[in-house]
Amino acid sequence: MEMAERLISMISAFSFLSLILLFGFPENVSANTEGDALNALRTNLVDPNNVLQSWDPTLVNPCTWFHVSCNSENSVTRVDLGNANLTGTLVPQLGQLPNLQYLELYSNNISGRIPEELGNLTNLVSLDLYLNNLTGPIPNTLSKLGKLRFLRLNNNSLSGTIPVSLTNVSSLQVLDLSNNNLTGDIPVNGSFTLFTPISFQNNKFNPVPPSPPPPLSPSSPASSDILYPMSSLVS
Amino acid sequence: MLLSSRVLDICGGVVLWLLLRSSLTLGVESDINCLKSIKHSLEDTYGYLNSSWNFNNNTEGYICRFTGVECWHPDENKVLNIRLSDMGLKGPFPQGIANCTSITGLDLSNNKLFGPIPINISHIAGFVTTLDLSSNNFSGPIPANLSNCSYLNVLKLDHNRFTGQIPPELALLSRLKQFSVSSNLLTGPVPNFNASVTKAESYANNLGLCGGPLDACVSSQKNSRTVIIVASAVGGATVAALAVGVGLAFFFRRVSVRKKEEDPEGNKWARSLKGTKGIKAS
Repeated sequence: MEMAERLISMISAFSFLSLILLFGFPENVSANTEGDALNALRTNLVDPNNVLQSWDPTLVNPCTWFHVSCNSENSVTRVDLGNANLTGTLVPQLGQLPNLQYLELYSNNISGRIPEELGNLTNLVSLDLYLNNLTGPIPNTLSKLGKLRFLRLNNNSLSGTIPVSLTNVSSLQVLDLSNNNLTGDIPVNGSFTLFTPISFQNNKFNPVPPSPPPPLSPSSPASSDILYPMSSLVS
Repeated sequence: MLLSSRVLDICGGVVLWLLLRSSLTLGVESDINCLKSIKHSLEDTYGYLNSSWNFNNNTEGYICRFTGVECWHPDENKVLNIRLSDMGLKGPFPQGIANCTSITGLDLSNNKLFGPIPINISHIAGFVTTLDLSSNNFSGPIPANLSNCSYLNVLKLDHNRFTGQIPPELALLSRLKQFSVSSNLLTGPVPNFNASVTKAESYANNLGLCGGPLDACVSSQKNSRTVIIVASAVGGATVAALAVGVGLAFFFRRVSVRKKEEDPEGNKWARSLKGTKGIKAS
């Protein structure tokens, strides 16, 4: 009888503990993924000003770290590290922040390439990597960022061509690719109808072919009432 | 040799980098002057600009916090858009905008601005993609020079007092998606835009616009020309007919007179017949 009671209490204790283990910590696990991702970034950056001092990976989530903002579900929405005197490189793990909206890494001395994995940040609204030492191409995965409004990659050493798929990002409002080593043609369709040479200056793009002025009607209609068929005004 | 050329490369690179950094800030001074000039040239009837546009602060990117000012980058004084809609502003078109060399959007709608649009508008804001001057008191012609603002996507000039004809060159704006000149004093034919750019409402409420989605243009001069041609044709035909008629009348008269001369007693044949009959009787 005693044995049976012991067994029962042991089994119930065991199942209780395993239940806790199974269902007790899932939130912490996902927040840790984001914390791990940011920690990977920290490992790859050189931080002479100690701006990342508060980045403690042993904490349950990164929402208390300086320069990191979270939403009500403790998921990272902003990383604000502009003008922080950072060097080093970016990491692919940055793509593991599914609710990230603002990635502000401008005005540092970060080198290396832009990780393709940034294309997984489907909630990204602002990608500011300008004024750094980034090299390599603009990843065409950035065209997956369907909510992207600000794309500022100016003042780096980016090379290659502008991915044409970027013209499909209809939310783009501000584009600055100036002061890089980009080549090829400048797209003018889709969302790029909003962008002027200011966005592209100081690169190595192919010169825009000057469009020949279409023939207008010979006499200016401003001074008389004589009219022509509308089709002859613009060929 | 190799080492010194490498050193040269490094020095060159550093100089270039410094130049690039400074070239960023070259735009800064002019943009501050641009905003100062705008504030100076406009009467700020509600005091909105007065409270927000304070030029005493000198931190980087301070003009980016001004009401209605949007910058290219938050920490650099380089103006991207100016949106001063519905601010009770009074004055002429602020030509100081020419110093905002990177401006792409200008919205001055719903104010009390007056006078003409500068004739050389493309030298003042050549890269502009949105130009909204609607609901003001602007007057004078729509400058043809607007057609040189080739990046224009949106051009709103409605609810003003523009006169004259819409420059046909505006049809050259290949990126134009929205164009409105309704409620003005415009006349003449409308430019040959793509059908998607303008509908009849874009031209509503003017003095005498025609063509495009509106009624076809008919000029009064052309009308009188046709009348003259038709009238002269009819007149000519009438004169010709009259001349022919008179000529014929004369001809037939002549013929009958000659007949009488040849036969003064008339009916020569009839008499000859009668004569034959008389000889037989006696």
